[in-house]
Amino acid sequence: MPISPIITFKAGICDVDQSSKPYKVTPQARPGYIYLYSDDDFIHFCWRPRDAPADEPELDLVMIPEDGHFLPYDTKSPAQASAKTNGRIFSLKFSSSSQRHIFWLQSKPQGPNGDPSFLSPRDLKIGEIVDKLLQGYEVDVNRELASLSSSGGSNRRDDGDDETMEDVEGHGDPNAHHEGGTGGAGPDATGGDVRREGEDAREGGADGARAASATNAEADAAAVVRNFLDSLKGTQGLAGGQAQAQAQGKSYPLLNDLLEPSVTIPMLDSATDEYVDNLLNYLPSTVIVMSQQGASGADAIEIEPSAASVEAARQTMSQDQKRALLKKVLRSPQFTQSLASLTIALRDGGLPNISTALGVQVENGGMVRGGTVPLGGGDAVEAFVEGVKKTVQKKK
Amino acid sequence: MSGGWNTIESDAGVFTDLLTNLGVKGVQFEELLSLEPDALAQLHPVYGVIFLFKYPTNEPYRGTDKPLDGTFDYDASERLFFAHQTIQNACGTQALLSVLLNKADPSVSQEGDAGYIDIGDKLRDFREFTIALPAEIRGEALSNSELIRDTHNSFARSSPFIDETQRRPDEEDGDAFHFIAYSPIGGTLYELDGLQPAPISHGACTQEDFPQKVMDVLQRRIARYDASEIRFNLLAMIRDLRIRAREFADEDLLASEERKREAWRFENALRRHNFVGFAGEILKGVVSAKLVAGGSAYDDWVNQGKKKMEKRAAEQRARKGGEGEDVEMQG
Repeated sequence: MPISPIITFKAGICDVDQSSKPYKVTPQARPGYIYLYSDDDFIHFCWRPRDAPADEPELDLVMIPEDGHFLPYDTKSPAQASAKTNGRIFSLKFSSSSQRHIFWLQSKPQGPNGDPSFLSPRDLKIGEIVDKLLQGYEVDVNRELASLSSSGGSNRRDDGDDETMEDVEGHGDPNAHHEGGTGGAGPDATGGDVRREGEDAREGGADGARAASATNAEADAAAVVRNFLDSLKGTQGLAGGQAQAQAQGKSYPLLNDLLEPSVTIPMLDSATDEYVDNLLNYLPSTVIVMSQQGASGADAIEIEPSAASVEAARQTMSQDQKRALLKKVLRSPQFTQSLASLTIALRDGGLPNISTALGVQVENGGMVRGGTVPLGGGDAVEAFVEGVKKTVQKKK
Repeated sequence: MSGGWNTIESDAGVFTDLLTNLGVKGVQFEELLSLEPDALAQLHPVYGVIFLFKYPTNEPYRGTDKPLDGTFDYDASERLFFAHQTIQNACGTQALLSVLLNKADPSVSQEGDAGYIDIGDKLRDFREFTIALPAEIRGEALSNSELIRDTHNSFARSSPFIDETQRRPDEEDGDAFHFIAYSPIGGTLYELDGLQPAPISHGACTQEDFPQKVMDVLQRRIARYDASEIRFNLLAMIRDLRIRAREFADEDLLASEERKREAWRFENALRRHNFVGFAGEILKGVVSAKLVAGGSAYDDWVNQGKKKMEKRAAEQRARKGGEGEDVEMQG
């Protein structure tokens, strides 16, 4: 009997031994899906391995509204500073019983530096959607997911390639009962692999930053559990604090912090003559010409010096003079201010344009992974600096 | 409609060049670092002062029908060049023009030497056109003037921050900055503020009295602020000091003024410059050097940057914890 899932996303299941405390949790490496569907009265919470058809879940729980909760575990609470898991864990809990089901997200983590336990806004949104559905709310899944893609919350359902849907499917009106499964992602979404699951980013084994081989996946999963168990011993904070921090993005220094004179002046001192000559090209021509003219009596309106006069000035400049001029610029408040502006530009979504303009290759072209929105905040600045690092390394 | 106006710095070099580019002759700005009347007096002839201060945006600027100091002179609103401010970002230029355009007609002046500035043909035209208009319309004319707007914008920084304390991207500050002018005109000390309904008279004032009297007014004004609020800036509009230097054959003064001009020109060239390419090259140079150094040099460098940022955030929090309410704008 064909069902029409409301939401589907990649997740692995864990075996939970609740016979003793702390619970023994053993994650299974098998790639799978969590999905929810509704029959006339109840929401069903299901899990199946990805190669199983949608109507043959291994887990099919009939959920009474408000009885169940689907919540992430905060793996970063200060009390457990050392017990960081390297996976993203959600648990399904019941008010009516102590039964618990534990799952781990299998989509590629979006954490900085590939931090595998980092719960991205999308991860949290998925959890939130599921939790809401379990309380009996009607959730417009597509809209909820789309609202993550743009800060304005505009509905991007009509975009051709909605990349946020790669590992999550929302399937339209949860209350509409269609035969044959219809909805935004199409009937194949749950049964087959319409999306390019074969590709690296979405490879079943590669999900969760795990290698393709099953044994590696198991080893990673074991590590997840080891840390997870430690976290069960202590406080079980929820994801509130983490969501807070994520709203501002990663804390990363400003460009003016990284490029203070205490850093740039020594760099210039040990730089080659070629580097110095090249750098001069990036200064305003007025400044180069002025350095050779000295103080003159002209109150002139700034007329752009001709290329010839710039070249003439450069010819007469000694290496020492060039370096002295560059240092003066590096110490100037105007340069510092420009670094502040550049940092703002990067943080506000300018990373793709700026990196292209400077010939710096950044990951994902500067976009949020799996998204169509530029990186922002400290993440963008970090991506930029890391991109420069790679660019420099390639040239060596 | 008028185009965009960008914010400019309250810097003596910026304002001086702004005037020069508008066609004004023989005028410069000098920053005043204290409220000592003598410091101002020795810069004679003085045409006026521009006062920059911070005001809170969550309170109305004008709450009352009388100013807290002085009196509204509605008659002067028409008689003098006084314009209502229509564009926030234009207020620096507006304050500057409100002194300048009141020194264009020596026949109404009582200020002797300081009563006349050669404002150049373009501004003379502008003044003639606008002096017949009411104050609100003058403000519109100012914001619509391509000459003035384009000259103003040519000094704009690419950043949205207006003042010299160089607010950082990680700071939060919802306050606006405002420029007002004080000038002795026709024997009266006027406060010219485009956000007020009319010029404010602070009483009779000769050119010789101006330094003392204006400092008194400013002292009273500053006293109305919270003691911890010290973000203001004072620029004097004066005759070009090199003229005096030449008159008195003062070589030292002339040389130091020329050096100052050179420094201003250097700074203005940097202000106008798009540093993105330069910054990129510098970043590449530093990253390259760190990689060559090897080991943990790169990571250490990033971590040092983080520490600086965290230190600054901690200092900010400490400061904010100590500050009281936002400044009450009572002027």
